[in-house]
Amino acid sequence: MTYKAVIADDEKELRTYLKSLLAVTWPDLVICGEAGNGREALELVEDEGPQVIFLDIRMPGLSGMEVAQKIAGVCRVVFVTAYDQYAVEAFEREAVDYLVKPVSRERLTQTVERLKKQLDVSIEPPAGLAGVVEHVLASLSAKTAADFLHWIRVQVKDSVHLIPVEEVNYFQAKDKYTLVITKDGESLIRKTIKELISELDPNLFWQIHRSIIVNVSKIERVSRSFTGRGILRLKERPELLTVSRNYLHLFKQM
Amino acid sequence: MELSQGTINRHLGPRHFLFDFLFAIIISALIAVFLFFAGIGDSFFPVLIISEAFGISIYSLINLLFWLVKPEKITSIISILIIGVAGGTFIGLHLGPFILRQFFSVALKWTPRDLLQAVLIAIAFGGAISYFFFSKARLRVTREEIQQERIRRLSKEKEALEANLKLLQAQIEPHFLFNTLSNILSLIDTSPDQGKAMLVDLIHYLRTSLSRTRHDLITLSQEIEIIQAYLNILKIRMGERLRFRIELPDNLREQPFPPMLLQPLVENAVKHGLEPQIEGGEILISIEEKDGFIRSEIIDTGIGFTSYSEVGVGMINVRERLRLLYGQRGRLAIEENKPKGVKAVIEVPKGGGNQHDL
Repeated sequence: MTYKAVIADDEKELRTYLKSLLAVTWPDLVICGEAGNGREALELVEDEGPQVIFLDIRMPGLSGMEVAQKIAGVCRVVFVTAYDQYAVEAFEREAVDYLVKPVSRERLTQTVERLKKQLDVSIEPPAGLAGVVEHVLASLSAKTAADFLHWIRVQVKDSVHLIPVEEVNYFQAKDKYTLVITKDGESLIRKTIKELISELDPNLFWQIHRSIIVNVSKIERVSRSFTGRGILRLKERPELLTVSRNYLHLFKQM
Repeated sequence: MELSQGTINRHLGPRHFLFDFLFAIIISALIAVFLFFAGIGDSFFPVLIISEAFGISIYSLINLLFWLVKPEKITSIISILIIGVAGGTFIGLHLGPFILRQFFSVALKWTPRDLLQAVLIAIAFGGAISYFFFSKARLRVTREEIQQERIRRLSKEKEALEANLKLLQAQIEPHFLFNTLSNILSLIDTSPDQGKAMLVDLIHYLRTSLSRTRHDLITLSQEIEIIQAYLNILKIRMGERLRFRIELPDNLREQPFPPMLLQPLVENAVKHGLEPQIEGGEILISIEEKDGFIRSEIIDTGIGFTSYSEVGVGMINVRERLRLLYGQRGRLAIEENKPKGVKAVIEVPKGGGNQHDL
């Protein structure tokens, strides 16, 4: 029986290339559609009912991974990726079929053989793909979990600006909002102190008070007041900040 | 910070107290010897006791005040010393005769002449001890400042090194390289001329990226050339999804400019702005001179901040480089573009950076 396949890649030239390689390695395969983004890929799978889809991972709209999750159990998926060390590692571990760009004819032949063998056994794809993709995604996000907040979005007059966190002197809770204080001024954001402290790099930002998170690199000096609390002087701001007793241990070894 | 917070205060703490106390006793004794031989007092013993009384009270009072007030400014240190000498004199004036009377049964009757002597002793001692304190504290602060300055310089050198390393790592993205090579591979069959043109652009892009990190400054037209090569490559790959325009006035073409400031922003705009957007978009790069600054704008009509806030590593590197090259004089502002996308503005002083200071 002849099988149908969809090729999804946001670069037209690469779809053409894969198509021409498939014409040689699997002449019987009918390419029933080409998709330039994730959403188109999804529609094509629904409309054409292919047995196989070659899915580029980086695509606008929906990523290849997201498409794969949605069509798990509908057709067999071969991921195609230009360079993604971690994803390839994860695919290998989870025994998901993948191709690395530029796709070589030899490697594609292997994939085609494997697909043919699987399709001969059963035309129905294994149902477990969604779970496998979830696994892969989870192991990928674990690799990048140490990524902290780098930019703060603030409203300045009628436009939105990005402030790099390194420029923030300190954050101060104010009602439901949080004040972001930089050298030149202050602005309000919606995030709470609690949310911020979990998103900021703990090596760069310390909470020194229930309502204050300070940028450690902007501290000029710390001194002790009569009442035993810490008084914190900043390099770029005139005002003094108070370190409450619960957080004084942060400055102990200095 | 660990360094800057402890100035004079720390050095007047309990660890130094004993040593300084001993020093105060010795100085007082020396002053007593000096005063005795200068003819003040009838016998040495009362002069010694009175001198010690003055010395110890002045010393203790100054130490107490330092401990309580923790002065940081020179003026407040001087005030403390003056108050310490005056107050210590007052205490010593009563303490000396008291000790002599109480423990050694020597009764002192203070005549105006004796009082004058006592004040002289006080001032001599106060001067010596004040000078001792002051110069000691000054010496420590200076030493600490030198140390701090060294650390600052070393960490700056380290930062510069790291930034350069990051620059090298960041310049050629494997994803970009392999996707481009795949395209070329395909074009060799379908459209050899276009494939050749793309290869030429890639070679140009790679050569400039690899060689110019070694140079401190290039010209603006060189920077634009590499951006052009990069965008040409992406134009073939993305087709209608990418449109771009570059505006560089002729009089700025030969202007020296640090490499890798504009290009990462352009790559960012493509990668995080246009590529994730199904319909793609437009990039406008415009450079102008304004009040002695070179102002470059990179505007895209991509999907905007949603992904910028999460990634933006390229931008972090650019900011880092700006800071290292120009300190406070370089500026990178990122804002939302109307009606959509992101606008990045870089301003640097005309005439290059102060790289030699690094």
